[in-house]
Amino acid sequence: MFLPGGVLTLLVIVVPLALALYISLLDLDQYSIREWVGAEFIGFENYVEAVRDSNLVHAIGLSVGYSALVTVGCLPIGLAAAVATQDRFKGRGLVRSVLLVPYVLPAFVVGSTWRIIFQPDGVANEVLGTSGLWLNGPRSFWALVIVQLWAGWPLVYLLAAAGLQSLDVTVHEAAALDGAGWWAKLRHVVLPQLRGPVSLALVISFLHNVNSFTLPFVLFGVPSPYDVEVLPVLTYVESFQNFEFGLSVAMAVVSLVLVAIPMAVYLRAVRLDTGRGQR
Amino acid sequence: MRARSEEVARLLPAPLRAAVLTVLLLVVLGPLAYMALASVSSDLAVARGALWPDGFHLDNYAKIWSTTNLGRGLVNSLLVAGAVAVVSAFVALLSAYVLVRYAFRGRIAVLRALLALQSIPGTLLLLPVFVLFASAATALGVTVIGTRWAVLITYLTFALPFSTWVMVTYLRELPPELDEAARVDGASPWRVLTRVIAPLSWPGLVVSGVFAFLLGWNDVLFASVLTNPDTRTAAVELQIFGASQEGGALPVYGQLMAAALVCAVPVVALYLVFQRYLVAGLTTGGVR
Repeated sequence: MFLPGGVLTLLVIVVPLALALYISLLDLDQYSIREWVGAEFIGFENYVEAVRDSNLVHAIGLSVGYSALVTVGCLPIGLAAAVATQDRFKGRGLVRSVLLVPYVLPAFVVGSTWRIIFQPDGVANEVLGTSGLWLNGPRSFWALVIVQLWAGWPLVYLLAAAGLQSLDVTVHEAAALDGAGWWAKLRHVVLPQLRGPVSLALVISFLHNVNSFTLPFVLFGVPSPYDVEVLPVLTYVESFQNFEFGLSVAMAVVSLVLVAIPMAVYLRAVRLDTGRGQR
Repeated sequence: MRARSEEVARLLPAPLRAAVLTVLLLVVLGPLAYMALASVSSDLAVARGALWPDGFHLDNYAKIWSTTNLGRGLVNSLLVAGAVAVVSAFVALLSAYVLVRYAFRGRIAVLRALLALQSIPGTLLLLPVFVLFASAATALGVTVIGTRWAVLITYLTFALPFSTWVMVTYLRELPPELDEAARVDGASPWRVLTRVIAPLSWPGLVVSGVFAFLLGWNDVLFASVLTNPDTRTAAVELQIFGASQEGGALPVYGQLMAAALVCAVPVVALYLVFQRYLVAGLTTGGVR
C-alpha cells in the first residue's frame, strides 16, 4: 500500500534531486542539453562561476534579508490579530474568515493585483501621494516586502490563534487572582505560552519566503529588476532565459543549503510519533 | 458560571480590540476591495490610478474570454488540479495508514522525510524533472512535456508529502482497537481501510484533497515550463496576460483584474466551504 506514494516520490523528487546534484557538475547549456548524458563534466566550476561571476551572492543576501524582514514583520501583526479575535464578540466568525483571505488567495492572483496597484500611474502612487516606480529600482524591494507581508502574516495569526485556544483557563484565573491588568497578563502570562506555535510559524514563514517563486515572478516579471532578483527567480532565469542549465542548477543546490538550517530547526519542533504507545 | 469564566478569559479591553480589528480589516480589505472595483472599471480608469470605477463596466467579465485563453486555462486547471486532489488524497490515505499502523524500520525517517521534502525548493527540481521527462520521451517514444500528464505527475508528487502528513495526523488519533475489532471479524486490511478507516477520516481526506487541488491550481513555476499553449493552466494564462500588458498599446488592466478575480473565486469558495477542516489542517505543522 506504500508503493504508489513511494514510487512517485522516488520518480519526481528523489531521482531529480540526485540528477540535480549531477547536473550541477556538468557544462550544460542549450547546445548540450539534447545529449545531456554526454555533457562535459567540469567538477565544481559551475559553483565557482556562480559565486564569482553571477548575481548569486547578491540574490542570497536579498532572499535572506527580505525573508527575515517579512518574517519579523508578520510577528506583531499576527499576534495582534490572534489576541484581538480571541474574545467573543458579535461577528467574530466573519472577521476570522476575512483575515485569512490574503493567505488563501493564489500567489499569482496576489502578484497580478499588486502589479496593477504598483504600476507607475497606479493607485498606490495616487493614494500615497508619491510618484515614480515601485516595480523597478530601489523601491521594488519594499514593494516585495509589503506584498509578501500582506499575503503571509495570516499564518502567524493562524498558529498563534490555535495556541491561544488550547490555553488552559486556569492561566486566566491565576492572572485574575493576581489582579493583573490586560497588558501585564498578555505580556507575562499569555504570550510566553505561545512561544512554541509562534516559533513554528516563523520558521515556516521564513522557508516559504526564501522558496517563494511565483509572487516575485508575477509581480515584477522577467528579466527581474536587480533589486528584487531573489534566488528562485535568478535560478529560473538562468535556466529558461539564459539557458545556462549547469550554472542554474548549481545555484539551486546552494539554495538547498540555505533552507537546510531552518528546516533542521523545524524538524526538531514537530511531533513525529505516529500514535499511542506505538514506537 | 460560563459568563464569568468568559469575563476572566478576556484578553483585550473592548475599545482596543475594536481599534486593532479596524486597522487589520482595512489593511486586508483595502486591496481586495480595490481588486473588485478595478475589475468593473474601464481599462483606462485603472491605468490612471483611479480609486473609484468610472461607471460599472461589467463587460470586462465578458471580454476576458476573447482577449485571453483563460477559458481553456480554467478547464486545464480544473482537470489537472481535480485529478491531483482525488488521487493524492487516496494515495496519502494508503501511505499514512501504513505509517501509522505498521511498525517497520525507518518509519521515523519516512515521517521526517515527509516534512523535509516539502521545503525542497521547486526551482531546484524543475530542470531535472524537465530533463527526465524529455529523456523519457526519447527513450520510450511517448511525449510527456506539453501534456497535462507532465504537470499532473509533478503536482501529485509535490502534493503527496503534505497530504500524507495530514493523513498521518488524522489517523494517529483513531484508536487501533477499531482495526483490531474489524480484523477479528475476518476483514482483510484492504477492507479495514476502505470500510472502517476511510469513512472515519474523511475530514483528513478533504484537507489533503483541497490542499493538493490548491497546489495544482496555484503553481506557475512548473506549468510555465511543462505545458504548451493548449495545455496551459489558468495560472500561467493569467501570468502571461499580466506580463504582456506593458509596452505599446493601452494596457487592459480592468480586464486583467476581472481575470484575476475569476481565478481567485474557486479557491476562495473552496476555503469558505471547508474552512473548519482547512484551518485544522494548516495548524498540523505542514510547510505549505
